[in-house]
Amino acid sequence: MIRFILERVAQLVIIVLVVSTLTFVLMRLAPGDPATILLTAHNVPASEEALTALRKELGLSEPLHIQYVNWLRDVSTGHWGTSYVSKESVLTELWNRLPATVELASAGFAVMTLLTLGMGLAASVQSSGWLDRLGRLFALLGSSIPSFWLGFLLIYLFSVRLGWLPSMGREDWTHLVLPALTLGAGLGAVQARVLRAQMLELGDRNFVKAAKARGFSRTHILFFEIFKHAILPIITLLGTNLSFMLAGNVIVETIFSWPGLGKYFIDAITQRDYPVIQGYVIFAAFLIVGVQCLVDVVQVAVDPRLRLR
Amino acid sequence: MISNRKKRSWLICTGVMLLLAVMALSGCSTTHKTADSSSKGEDTSAQQATADKKLVMAYTWKPSGVDPHGDNSWDIMRSGAGETLVRLNEKLEPVAWLAKEWKQDSPTVWTFSLQDKVTFHDGKSMDAESVKASLLRSIKKSHLAKDLLDVKSIDVTGPLALKITTNQPNAALVSNLADPSTIVLDVASMKDEQSYPAMTGAFKIKAFNKDQSLVVERYDGYWGEKARLAEATMKFITDGNSRLLALQSGEVDVATDIPVDNAEVLKKNDKLQVLSSPSLRTHMIVYNMESPVFKDAANRKVVDNLIPRASIVSAIMRGYGTEASSPFPSILPFGKVERKALDGTPEQLLAKDGWKKDAQGTWTKQGKPFEVTLLTFPQRPELSVMAEVIQSQLLKEGIQVKIRKVENIDEALTKNDWDFAMYSMLTAHTGEPQYFMDMFYSSKSESNVSRYASKPLEDILDRLKLAKDTAQRNAVTLQALNIINTDLPQSFIVHPDNVFGVKKGVEGFTPHPIEYYYITAQSDIAE
Repeated sequence: MIRFILERVAQLVIIVLVVSTLTFVLMRLAPGDPATILLTAHNVPASEEALTALRKELGLSEPLHIQYVNWLRDVSTGHWGTSYVSKESVLTELWNRLPATVELASAGFAVMTLLTLGMGLAASVQSSGWLDRLGRLFALLGSSIPSFWLGFLLIYLFSVRLGWLPSMGREDWTHLVLPALTLGAGLGAVQARVLRAQMLELGDRNFVKAAKARGFSRTHILFFEIFKHAILPIITLLGTNLSFMLAGNVIVETIFSWPGLGKYFIDAITQRDYPVIQGYVIFAAFLIVGVQCLVDVVQVAVDPRLRLR
Repeated sequence: MISNRKKRSWLICTGVMLLLAVMALSGCSTTHKTADSSSKGEDTSAQQATADKKLVMAYTWKPSGVDPHGDNSWDIMRSGAGETLVRLNEKLEPVAWLAKEWKQDSPTVWTFSLQDKVTFHDGKSMDAESVKASLLRSIKKSHLAKDLLDVKSIDVTGPLALKITTNQPNAALVSNLADPSTIVLDVASMKDEQSYPAMTGAFKIKAFNKDQSLVVERYDGYWGEKARLAEATMKFITDGNSRLLALQSGEVDVATDIPVDNAEVLKKNDKLQVLSSPSLRTHMIVYNMESPVFKDAANRKVVDNLIPRASIVSAIMRGYGTEASSPFPSILPFGKVERKALDGTPEQLLAKDGWKKDAQGTWTKQGKPFEVTLLTFPQRPELSVMAEVIQSQLLKEGIQVKIRKVENIDEALTKNDWDFAMYSMLTAHTGEPQYFMDMFYSSKSESNVSRYASKPLEDILDRLKLAKDTAQRNAVTLQALNIINTDLPQSFIVHPDNVFGVKKGVEGFTPHPIEYYYITAQSDIAE
């Protein structure tokens, strides 16, 4: 386990260094001067003196390599910089928004997992019945409807027409329902098809035939023989999608005005808030590697043979 | 017969699922706590809450904080919590607010006498010392306030009297004191991180939930007419479609910055209404004065003449806008300007300038076609549609236009590989022309995106600073506009309206061209 953790830490350091360096260079090469954007926030022109003073204040008048060295030095000592816009610590800003993102990602993940397991198992049990056909339809819709469109459809139906659920914001649990459905439904429907295919493929294997011959019940064979093996690739998929939900649910957060990390990141890009962009990249790398570690641990727990590899 | 190992595996899986479910639920309850605790203990009882009127607004922008002396000054002003020495009336004239009256002692010296009985939200009285401290803080914190006021010194000449001396003659000082960056606050309240800024408005800040909302409540010690609403909430919804849906679902009473396409949808809903006002914004074309084609004024004039302004207003702006003939809309006294008529037809002008039509009907000069690159950008979608309409119109006349969409228009304009570009600016954000003209037309300014230089114009702008009264200022401004409309560094296309969606029953919400005054003491909801 110690080796496993050391490997992951080394991986994390390399990922953070490569990705943040690339981000640093690409952001500086991309068009958009933070000083101009900040000073002309309401499309009111800015004076030359104000622009020069702000560039100096933000450290943007230094050559690029000096800016990079300064940034690297600060990050290595735990100082992630100060947001150009809010003038607050980047780490604090990210940390404050993390609960909202974790909340939404968890709810989306729960929707996705329930759909994957429920629809996948039902479709594999009734592999040519109406549940299977329904699952296929959902998978088709899930893979073809973009999340922004699904979000607006759900808002229109449940908020505007029926008035059952709020359309935006983060106040109580009712505000979580529509964004969680938007985030998890499409992915869950698609993953259910993967689970179904796995279950059906494994159903013909010798170990299943042996279990049948030994007289195990159908339920036992389904859950403790077939499903146990079929779930392994699904766990990997769930983990990958959880990373996506934690680090990249920008569209859903925007549509539902959800105050999470994704939306904050996009706003930071728009405003060329370099310290926030850099900080987010590191933060996202931690989240993604962390989730992948969790996936590995769960996989080993489910299939102890993996420990030997 | 399930082995222990199998049981353990299943327990772990079940545990992970339960953990995620608990995370989701606990997240929800945390939200509750955050929202409750952010009210900082200033609870109102449930009974009072149901009896009092509360307005909810879907607001386009997302302030990063509540300090009015920074980038968020507009948001604070719009919440009804902040006030300035001077406000602008619907004719955009400066009228008394926290300052009772003022007079100009010399080109650089102004004296202001302040309203009495004004208190800050922390209960302290407003006097000349506190206003001086506030203005000095705004100048220190805000580049815009520093530029607008151009202050050399502020002296307290009495308990409620101030003398402001400017570095140079600044006849626009009074109007510029209406800019939200000069909101008056009790500077001492900014030192306490546990409290919100103490300002003087009819509402005081109750809660600021970053990325989510700004809640203001009635300030009972207000010096003027007390607010009719008990509470108002500005919910930050940056996506236009989401704002519209929030309004349609009844979650909000007012939605700001409704896209004109969506205004038609709202009009069909009998519970909602669309309100609009002329804005001080101008959608325009800026010409690159260093472009090989557009450094020639005749070519700019031809293009300007071919812009189908009337159809742009009716088809693209859906009537929510007016044709533009100067940087300033005609609601301003110095905005009533006639566009210069073309001296002949476009064909005659181009032929006179040495252009000839080839077999394909394209104008050419010395073997080179009249081919130009037009930049546009996605942040204001209507500009891209206008660009296509203009491209089509110019093509009909034998002028080839390549449209290039750029992500950041300001950055793109600093380079040289463009001929003309779609652009949009607030041109008189304090009802005054001077600041915009100094920034936009001075040959030294980085904001002069056309790279236009005109000595006669800069001389007129210097005279504008010395103009003594409104009539003289308007006359000098019109002289400046005459030069701009002759030289045509820009073609002014349309002044768009500000469009709001409002639930029927909301009263006292009057769209104002100046865009600062959204929630006011007069805002109300019918019983």
